[in-house]
Amino acid sequence: MAMEAASTGKKERRSGILQRTDVRAGWGLLTPAGIVILAVTIFPIVYSLFMSFNNIQLTTNGFQFTFTGLQNYKDVYSAPLFWHSVGFTIYYSVITVAVELFFGLLIALAIQNVERLKSISIIVMLIPWALITVISAQMWGYIYNGVYGVLNAILQGLHIIHTQVNWLGQPFTAVVSLMIADIWKTTPFVVIILLSGLQMIPKDYYEAALIDGANAWQSFWNVTFPQLRGSIALAGLFRILQAFGIFDLPFVLTQGGPGTTTTSLAMLGEETLFTNLHFGLGAAVAISTVILILGACLIFLSAFRGMVGEEAQ
Amino acid sequence: MTKPLSKRILGYVVLIAFLIAILLPFYWMFVSSFEPNTDISSYPPAYFPKHWTFQHYAEAFGQFHFGRYILNSVIVAVVSTFIVLAFSSMAGFAIARLPVSGKRPMLIFLLIISVFPPLVVITPLYMLLRDVGWLDSYQALIIPYTAFNLPFAIWILRNYFLQVPGALFEAAKIDGSSVFTAFWRIFLPLTTPGLFTAAVFTFVACWTEFFMALVFNPSNTMRTIPVGIALFSGQYTVPYGTIFAGSVVSIVPIVVLVIIFRKWIVSGLTQGAVKG
Repeated sequence: MAMEAASTGKKERRSGILQRTDVRAGWGLLTPAGIVILAVTIFPIVYSLFMSFNNIQLTTNGFQFTFTGLQNYKDVYSAPLFWHSVGFTIYYSVITVAVELFFGLLIALAIQNVERLKSISIIVMLIPWALITVISAQMWGYIYNGVYGVLNAILQGLHIIHTQVNWLGQPFTAVVSLMIADIWKTTPFVVIILLSGLQMIPKDYYEAALIDGANAWQSFWNVTFPQLRGSIALAGLFRILQAFGIFDLPFVLTQGGPGTTTTSLAMLGEETLFTNLHFGLGAAVAISTVILILGACLIFLSAFRGMVGEEAQ
Repeated sequence: MTKPLSKRILGYVVLIAFLIAILLPFYWMFVSSFEPNTDISSYPPAYFPKHWTFQHYAEAFGQFHFGRYILNSVIVAVVSTFIVLAFSSMAGFAIARLPVSGKRPMLIFLLIISVFPPLVVITPLYMLLRDVGWLDSYQALIIPYTAFNLPFAIWILRNYFLQVPGALFEAAKIDGSSVFTAFWRIFLPLTTPGLFTAAVFTFVACWTEFFMALVFNPSNTMRTIPVGIALFSGQYTVPYGTIFAGSVVSIVPIVVLVIIFRKWIVSGLTQGAVKG
């Protein structure tokens, strides 16, 4: 798409004066958006980097900065809780995104040829996407409740468990409960992206595969999957970005607990900054999170290299 | 193309099971919002409520100021959406149709900043807002929400402006219209689907945002819906009835939005542009 832009630029090269007013109008139109983006994203990112090299005290005269070099990073990286959060954020993200892509793909494949109920299905699938995460967290908190939660009632009714379980009170079940709430909210989003990817595959490809004598499995691996890789990459990339920043769900559902089991990087950052008021340390956590997220995107994209390029055109 | 019957039945079974799985938690929240407190915390719970009450709705809007949270959310989301539409359509038009240099780096730059998590900008913004005394204000949220939603909106609108033939721009200029008139009178009306998409995505993002709203606007009168619902909890018990009454009310506009704009949402999700 960027290539198109370059070529239209050349095509529009006209006489000098017209050209210059167009250029000036162009920069004029770009200015408001540019100022807001620079002021609210670029300046704070650079400032965060600067903060992470300082010890910052909140005094009656405002914020006092003392340059301390890499001390904040040393403190952060020597704290076991930081590494625990990194580990939790990574395995939480990898597992939920993998499960969402897997189920999303299975569901999209199964329902792609259903002709009725189309608009009602789209509406129902879009609602979790547009739902306030805090609401879904409260909803699941009530379902998981150890005293009067409906999940216990259902599982007891089915004789799967015998006594009520405090799902959010034990490390393992708390993590799984968070994951299920997340998967419930975002799988429909993955299904929608993959469904529209499936619709773009030309029907002749399947007919050709059929003529070549391919069975269902072979036509999936040789036609569907390669054609769908762009959509999978898009859904996966978006979900990884979101999952690595996970904050709302554990904030409401587990408050990072039990203990610190479900403390994600974003929660640790927020706590360091706004509960403990360690602004320098918090900035070091934030910068480390950005590096981790960029790394995760690069790893994911390199696994899908080429395919995403096609999709972006 | 006709599919074997078994495959079609499987499709319907999976679809219906999937839709039920999405809707069940909503059903549970919805009926609980109408149950008296004793039924909400009874075990085993009744799958269909025995007694109905509007008490929680009265509480949410009475003692818990939920009306105020809704008003705050509406103001922040609507104003941010309008600013995003104005700024992003101007920028998108300039990138798509005007001979400014460095378009490609600009677009890549927009992609990159939309990857950064709010965590990295939140502290400097907090310090800045604190210094100018703007914590607990509408602009404390409107400004960052505008900035965070601009990149996606610019990408979407740029794609729509590219679909409008460039010859129209030349024709308008020959007729003596200024660049701005051409943008406002000719191009903008032709890209309404793009404006809808950008508007819905911005509105939903502002409506659901929690992190910045929690940090920048914590006082009870300036909370948005997500912050209000997250901090509803009482001293010893969680007032689920009230929480769910507020939640049900705040889901209504989202459902209406999804029903009206579903086509544009799906096209926005699948543009292959920045993110959803």
